[in-house]
Amino acid sequence: MAARAVAVRGLWRRLVPAALWERPCRLQHERQPGRCDQPIQMENPYKEPPKKCILCGINVDYKNVQLLSQFVSPHTGCIYGRHITGLCNKKQKEITKAIKRAHVLGFMPVMFKNPSFLTDPKICNVKYPE
Amino acid sequence: KPETAAVLKRTVEALMERGAIVRNLENLGERSLPYKISKHKERHRRGGYFLIDLEGPPSIVSTMMDHLGRDIDVIRRAFIKHPVSQTEECSGIIPVNCEDKLIAKK
Repeated sequence: MAARAVAVRGLWRRLVPAALWERPCRLQHERQPGRCDQPIQMENPYKEPPKKCILCGINVDYKNVQLLSQFVSPHTGCIYGRHITGLCNKKQKEITKAIKRAHVLGFMPVMFKNPSFLTDPKICNVKYPE
Repeated sequence: KPETAAVLKRTVEALMERGAIVRNLENLGERSLPYKISKHKERHRRGGYFLIDLEGPPSIVSTMMDHLGRDIDVIRRAFIKHPVSQTEECSGIIPVNCEDKLIAKK
């Protein structure tokens, strides 16, 4: 419809043609400088804090055999992989190195898990075949 | 017990002779070894663990390893770098962008 009705009830006489009706018109050359329409560039304010693995912030030592034994299989004594322990890159490497060191220096048994640490809380999500 | 004291004394004196500064000597307790270790024609089942904190020139390492190897009472010897206190502020798991890695870099 070319003509627009002004908000007057029932008075259809006053029809202003669209060409004369004042609309907010934003022309390129008339744009006020400094008033930007685009979204403001900013860092995502709803960003979640980065996920931490269980050992993030804990110092890994070759001496605390209990901690190291939690990442070792009770049957064979082999070290669990990253997909089982769920540790980040850095910490997995540290744990592996510490376990190997403990083996060599005679702190931790190699072929099995120390029986006194068998009742420790389970960290790794190991799936045994049923 | 006096034997262990004698061993420690000998070791520390040997270290000081070569110019190492002993900062600390810790006893990590005496326990049964995780596996039987045969050394110097004997099978050992129990042992005492000691940790010596020292500072010295790196040339000592090989000479000390020889010296300790000749000592009958020492079952296992090792020199480890002093663990510098690791940064406790771990930044957490940084999500790796796998797509970028798969796309071959030109």
